[in-house]
This record gives sequence, structure tokens and C-alpha cells, in this order.
Amino acid sequence: MGSSTTTTPEGNSSEVLVRAEGVEKTYGSRLPFTRSVTVLTGADLEIRTGEIVGIVGANGSGKSTLMNILVGVLEQDSGTVERTGTVGWCPQEPLLYDRLTVGETFRLFGSGYGMTAEEIDEAKHRLASKLDFEQYLDYRIDQLSGGNRQKINLSIALMHDPDVLMLDEPYTGFDWETYLTFWDLAEELAADGTAVTMISHLIEEQSRLDRIYEVRDGQVYDVTDQEGETDATASERGEETDE
Amino acid sequence: MNRVWTGIRANVSTFLRTPLNVVLALLLPIVVIEGWGQAMAGLPSMPTVEAIPIELGRLLGAIFGVAIIAGLMGLEQMISARAADRRLVQTGYPPRTLLATRLAALGGVTVVVAAVNYGVLWLTISPEAPVLTFVFLVLAGLVYAFLGALVGALLPRLFEGSLVVVFLAMMDAFLSGDSPLAADIPEFVEYFPLYHPKELLQEAMFQGTYTTGDLGFVAGYLLVLLVLVTVVFGVTMRTSGGWSA
Repeated sequence: MGSSTTTTPEGNSSEVLVRAEGVEKTYGSRLPFTRSVTVLTGADLEIRTGEIVGIVGANGSGKSTLMNILVGVLEQDSGTVERTGTVGWCPQEPLLYDRLTVGETFRLFGSGYGMTAEEIDEAKHRLASKLDFEQYLDYRIDQLSGGNRQKINLSIALMHDPDVLMLDEPYTGFDWETYLTFWDLAEELAADGTAVTMISHLIEEQSRLDRIYEVRDGQVYDVTDQEGETDATASERGEETDE
Repeated sequence: MNRVWTGIRANVSTFLRTPLNVVLALLLPIVVIEGWGQAMAGLPSMPTVEAIPIELGRLLGAIFGVAIIAGLMGLEQMISARAADRRLVQTGYPPRTLLATRLAALGGVTVVVAAVNYGVLWLTISPEAPVLTFVFLVLAGLVYAFLGALVGALLPRLFEGSLVVVFLAMMDAFLSGDSPLAADIPEFVEYFPLYHPKELLQEAMFQGTYTTGDLGFVAGYLLVLLVLVTVVFGVTMRTSGGWSA
């Protein structure tokens, strides 16, 4: 079975922006005495405009692998991924250039998105004001605290107003105020039609999500109507599951 | 916004803001050039070993100094930024443009490193053809800068990659430099990265001339390395149809 990926430039309202069907992924190794790890065995999901979608699952279930495949930084072994519009990706670990300042980081990634200098400047000040890191614009990334680095990590994903946001535990290291600001921002973006997809571990967040997908046994299950009681959330509380 | 200029500026800034890079680039030439020269001059104290002139020893020190620093810079630039590079490419930044900006910055750094080495060399020797000597020193550095970048793209671990570059440069400079300590130098040494740059440099330094064949060999070497590093970098940065604006 082969894999295919389709990317369409523009998105319309009320439509599926991301559709994955039968996605499979195994991390193989050609080295002796190492093992292959099968992570996804046929994952299906859809992400629509204006939705806030949560991807949950136990540790090692394949949430980040699935997100990396949806973003396009990891190739699936088989299955199809169709994408429409533009994406903003916030990886779990801040993938930034340590020796560049915050301002230089915006310029470099903004040039990647194809933004003009004015657009980059506007996005930088808008997000710095919103997430409260204006005073750090001249600081190097390696001189920032973990929480501030995560703000920049998130801002790089947001700076070009993408149609789809893919966030892998985006609030790690945030203080409470920033955490609430993040959720306000996510809800504003969703109201404007952006599809916000995030990997989440927090049970209390599930009431904020329009749709919840659980990654379990290599498959993806829509557990939206199960009132947040997923195997993953149960296992986080230390309960036995029937997995 | 201009991607090329932004990328070059980012790469040069990254280099200059890594203090160890700057210290190595400025201090290593003095140690290596004089150390190599003195070591070569001291060889007559060993029985049956014929010394090479101290000037040639210093020249070999200079070529080794440029090669090893440029090689390590090439390696470090590829490895330290690998994860962030993938994210940058995901935003729509073309991998070839990213590689071109990195190699351009590396080229600039190599010219500066060669200039420092040339300056130290010039204090003790007067080259017959100063411009050619400098240019060939730059070429030796570029060969190793590209080689370091290739090793970094293939072997993305700083410790292991550094060992490869350091041992390669040492053996290369040792065997390519007609060392009297190497009993029987095999013919394939002339395919080593520093062999022809060293021939060019030696001729320019002491005779003021150069051989076109050596220059062609070095140009070919650079071209092959450039193709290899482009292919390997492209493969490592490949995304499944990456989403971009």
C-alpha cells in the first residue's frame, strides 16, 4: 500500500481542511539488535474550519507522530493525507535557532512564510503584546526562560494567520495568565474560521474542545461524545483500562 | 522579505555569537602554524629522519589550521541547526536556498580564517606570490568546509562528526605534506582533499607559480562535494509535500 499527500493552496469556510485516511507508520531500523516500532496502523481523521480539535492518548500512543504526519514533516508509510490552506505548526520542543534574537527569529521564519518585512513586523508586535514578551524582542532565544521560549515557539506558528494550527502541547511552561490568554486566542482564531488542533493531556481542557480524537492501539477514535472519559484520561488518573 | 539575505545574516550572526568559534578561528592558527613548523624543524634529532624546512612545516601548519577550523565550522553549522532547519523548511523556506545561505556564510568565515592563517604565516615567511598563496589557502579551507558540512549532514552527531573531521584532517595534512615520518606514502594520497591544495600552495609560496592541473582537481573536488552535500541535505530536509503559505 502506498502513501500520498495532497496540498491545496486555499481553504473555504465550513469545509474539511485536513483529511487523513488509513495512515500507517512504523519506525524501522536497519541496525542489528534494534527493534521496529509500529505506531499507527490505519489512522483516519478530519479537521474542519473553525473547530478546536483535541488529540489525546496515553504516552507513546503516537499523538506527536500523527501530528507530524498531518503537518508534513514526517512521511507516512501508507495512507493518504489531504490538506487545504496554510498551516502553522508548534512542535512540542521549541525548534528555534538558539543564537538568534526573538526579532531575528521572526524575520527568518517570516521570510520562510513569504511575508513582507512590514507584515513580519506587524505580526511580531501583535503577538508580543498579546503573549506579553515585548520586553524580550532583543533577547537571544538561548537567553529566554522555558516559558518565554515556548511563547516564541507558539508565535512562530501563529505569525502568518494560518488556516490550520497544529499545536503539540503548546502551553508547556506557561504561567496561568498566559495559559488563559492562550485559550482566549485559540477561541478567537476558531471563531474567525481557523481550525485549531492540539495535543492535550489535561482533562479539564476537554470541555473547551469541539472534537476529541483519541489515539489508541495505532488507530484514531472520535471520542467527542464520551464526555471526556477516554482511556487516556482514565489512565492519567491511574485507573485500569480495557486496552 | 529577501530569504537569501535574511538567511546569510542569520548564519553569520549564529557563527559570531558562538564564542568558541571565534576563539578557535583567531588563536588556533598561531598555535598550529608555529607548532607544526617547529616540529618539522626538530626532526633531525631523530636518527635516519631527514628534516623538511621549517618554512614548509609552517605552510603545512597553515593549511591544516584552515582546513580543520573550516571543517569543524561546516560540521557544527549543519548539526546544531538540524531540527530548527526542518521547521524552517516546513514554513516554505526552500532547502536549497537554506543550504546556499549556510554555505555562503561558511565561505565568508573560511575567507576570514584563511586571512588570519595567512597573516600568521606572513609574519615568518614572505610568499613569492602573496595573492595566489592566500587564494589557495582559501580553497583548502573551502574543501574542508564543504567536507565538514557533508559529514554533518550524513552523521548528525557533534562528537562523532568532530572525530571524523579532526582525524581526517590530521591524516590528510600529514600524508599530503610529504612527511618524512611516513615511510611509504601510497599513491592514492593524491586523491586526499588537501593533496592538491597543498601542491598549489607550496608552488605559489616558494616559486610564485601554480599548475593548472592541480587547480582543476581542486575545482572538481569542490564541485563533487557541493553536489553530495546538496543531495544529502535535500534528503534530510524532505517533507511529505510540506504545507506552506
